Amino acid sequence: MSWQRWIYIAPLRLRSLFRREQVERELDEEVRYHLERKTEEYIAAGLSSDEARHAAMRAMDGIERHKEECRDMRKVNWLEDFWQDLRFAVRMLRRTPGFAAVVVLTLALGIGANSAIFSVIDGILLQPLPYGDPDRLVIVWENNLRRSNPHNVVSPPNFLDWQAQNHVFSGMSYVSDLRGNLTGSGEPEQIVAEYVSVNFFSVLGVNPVLGPGFKTENGETGKDSKDRVVTLSYGLWKRRFGADPEIVGKTIELNGKVLTIVGVMPQNFSFFIKQGTLSGEKPELWSPWVLPAAYHHRKDIGRFMTVVARLQSGITTARAQTEMTAIATRLATEYPDFDANWGASVVGLREQISGDLRPALLLLLGAVGFVLLIACANVSSLLLARAAGREREIGIRTAIGASRWRLARQLLTESILLALIGGGAGIALAVWGTNLLLAASPSNLLDMEKVPLDWRVLSFACGVTLFAGLLFGFLPSYISARGAIAETLKEGGRSASAGRHRRTIRSAFVVAQIGMALVLLAGSGLLLRSFNLLVRVDPGFDARNLLTFTVTLPSAKYGADPAVLAFFRQLVERVSKIPGVRSATMESYPPMSGLGAATSVHILSQPAQAPSELPSAAVRVVGPDYLRTMGIPLHTGREFSATELAEMRHVALVNQSFVDKYFSEVNPLGQKVAVHMKSEAESEGQPSEIIGVVGDVRLIGLDTPAEPTVYWPHPELVYSRMTILARTSGDPMAIVSSARNELHQMDANEPMASVVTAEQLLSHSFSRSRFTTIVLGVFAGAALVLAAVGIYGVVAYTVAQRTSEIGIRVAMGAQRHDVLRLILAQGGRLIVSGIALGIAAGLLITRLMAGLLYGISATDPLTFAAVALLLMAVALLACYVPARRAMGVDPLIALRYE
Amino acid sequence: MSKPSDLVQGTLDLLLLKILALDSMNGWSISLRLRQISGEVLQVSDGSLYPALHKLEQEGWITAEWRASENNRRAKFYSLTRLGRKQLEKETAAWDRLSGAITQIVKLKEA
Repeated sequence: MSWQRWIYIAPLRLRSLFRREQVERELDEEVRYHLERKTEEYIAAGLSSDEARHAAMRAMDGIERHKEECRDMRKVNWLEDFWQDLRFAVRMLRRTPGFAAVVVLTLALGIGANSAIFSVIDGILLQPLPYGDPDRLVIVWENNLRRSNPHNVVSPPNFLDWQAQNHVFSGMSYVSDLRGNLTGSGEPEQIVAEYVSVNFFSVLGVNPVLGPGFKTENGETGKDSKDRVVTLSYGLWKRRFGADPEIVGKTIELNGKVLTIVGVMPQNFSFFIKQGTLSGEKPELWSPWVLPAAYHHRKDIGRFMTVVARLQSGITTARAQTEMTAIATRLATEYPDFDANWGASVVGLREQISGDLRPALLLLLGAVGFVLLIACANVSSLLLARAAGREREIGIRTAIGASRWRLARQLLTESILLALIGGGAGIALAVWGTNLLLAASPSNLLDMEKVPLDWRVLSFACGVTLFAGLLFGFLPSYISARGAIAETLKEGGRSASAGRHRRTIRSAFVVAQIGMALVLLAGSGLLLRSFNLLVRVDPGFDARNLLTFTVTLPSAKYGADPAVLAFFRQLVERVSKIPGVRSATMESYPPMSGLGAATSVHILSQPAQAPSELPSAAVRVVGPDYLRTMGIPLHTGREFSATELAEMRHVALVNQSFVDKYFSEVNPLGQKVAVHMKSEAESEGQPSEIIGVVGDVRLIGLDTPAEPTVYWPHPELVYSRMTILARTSGDPMAIVSSARNELHQMDANEPMASVVTAEQLLSHSFSRSRFTTIVLGVFAGAALVLAAVGIYGVVAYTVAQRTSEIGIRVAMGAQRHDVLRLILAQGGRLIVSGIALGIAAGLLITRLMAGLLYGISATDPLTFAAVALLLMAVALLACYVPARRAMGVDPLIALRYE
Repeated sequence: MSKPSDLVQGTLDLLLLKILALDSMNGWSISLRLRQISGEVLQVSDGSLYPALHKLEQEGWITAEWRASENNRRAKFYSLTRLGRKQLEKETAAWDRLSGAITQIVKLKEA
């Protein structure tokens, strides 16, 4: 049936569209014919020809309206109208380029910022993780109840018991990373290798793109030392091995040990849980590792592994948590020495990975949403003002037969056109902004080099655009359509009722805008103050002109402790003699890297307790001249002597926090402490004597207060990986090549890793705060400007509307300051309501960002007062401009203005 | 009848189809015929006749051609299409059902 209909209809539609003039002529002719016959009929009935013609017209009862109805029947009207509206809209916009530019810019800012933030959020929070069925993957931590650290790395014996006792995971796998020297085939380089349980890839549900991967026998006990195999990351395979397709079966040399390559992982594969890493960097190869028999006993090994597990289907994270808590409680009773006060935490993998960034990103998303809302309110307000100026035009159109819907459509077309142009500009801004955002973001936090602006982001942007267009197109249309036409025409385009509606709505917009701007400003102000506090924190050492780099000695080559000790002692000595270097030392971990070792200490003058009840302290191993090179003050006692730096003499320095916390009433000098870095028996047998107290250093990061710390000279605990620190007289980077020379003269196969200045490490430590602060600051600035434009628009419009009233007032004797007060009072009311609203909302909302703040409360009254004053000042300034114009009103001209 | 057009609106289509089923006609003649057959009961204003005709045309139920009228002037003549004939049958049947039902009810009330 329907296709038959189209045989008749299609030619008609096409004709209506493309032969429009002919169709119109025929309509005219048809109606004229009818009128003529009717006129003839009336003449025949005895009327004069004039009377007859009028009577015929009357009988037709509104010819133009009926003609319009006929046109509507053609059903192609909307298309024609749309085309007409579009051309009209373009003409209107070209006539008011300033207005168009403000609207387009406002929208582009709102939409562009939204899309950019959304792209980044999408990349981090929404993109599927590169694992099979990733939603069922969880990280299982030990929960350190005493230090309230729910995400503590795991001890091997606990892992083995978890694995044996749980009924919620289909597989559990452990990971431990290590820095290694990759030698042979090219320059030696330091990379991070992850030693994993043999089921690691099957738990993650990932297969190599090349090669068979690990086999079960790689995980059998006793196979540990022979048949060593390794899989490479895609990046390492491309970079170091030129994407060799025949790579499987070849060997590499890691820390002097030969490993056979059995696979290359997919390009997007990586596994990096920052909280559990020792190296702090992404691993580039994976090798199976069987827990040695000694690791099955709690006395011998501490906590250091990250555990990833796959939930059985149908098991929720909460269910798994319940089970793991039960197991941990059992273990705590069974092994009170080791497991008392330790629980277990199960965290979804996604949550774990995005955890760091999530609050900051969600904050930005909220902020950017506010900016878009303000932008929409502004554009809506501008369109309303314009609709007011066009009341007369609209009144006339209505009078000659335009329907309300038709008029609304015309206004909608205009606003959608604006929205589309704004959206286009916004998308361009989004592409640019995404790159900018990534460039400005802390590189080690975001696990991505590029965020593609994919179709979902585009559709998000388009959705926002369309929504904005409809939102701010609809309101003016709706209000205009409600205007009483007759009154509009009578009053010369100043309908009282429509005007009042419009003013109320615009005033509401302004109040909302100011409120939202205040919330943004408050948030931004809090971040700024917190950032300022953070930057001013004294790290406890002098970061200027301090070069750091890391050297790792492979155990295969430098197995024995004396060789390692000698190597580093000689290296530090050589570096300290480089011209431009004032002094040099070394330390087990670079400062501010978020890395470090900590353990329990037994102060011999205090009663012995189970290890899990003992006080804890960070342990740093240092080289000669440490205090002077780092610029750390010696509070009391003495430094390590040359002998103590050369051989084990059981001495230690502690920091002020250690003293404050554990020796509140005793002189710490001469006290003996057993530092449990080695096996318990060994540690208790060789307690260290405290020979000095040094100033506190923020070792982990600027926002983390100093922990009680024990400093050991290198012989006490021979790390084969040390960070060399060189205090220079000029630019630290200038001595890098000399330092490399010295290193390579000692061993040409030793890479110099993580070359970075201490200032860079410092700045890195607050890069995330800086990132959030800058971005939110930009948004708050945009909000301030937009809100100012908004209130300016409203007040300027009122001044224009009230020109004659003001003229009369001036004519009656009102002074300039009376007029000023009149105008400012109106603006002031809006500003005060907006600010009150904003403070109320802000106090509720900023609480959500407490976690992002350092050293300041989320409801800090000073910040709120300051931003309220700032906003008030800017808004009043925006009112003052039109108010000045009002003061200058000449009564004669104003009255004639009618 | 102050404003019968609402009432007539649905039935106007039926009337027009019926009139054109008998003969092809121009708008003026149709208006005369309407007046003639329905007397004063159904008043269709001259103005609203044309939108109705254009609607039927755009639905494909009637088709138009220009030819000389009875006084030898060019006029637009409408005639029923095959589709229009089917529509007429459908609407007639619907009308019969409706009017039959209403008649029944009205009689019931009288009884």
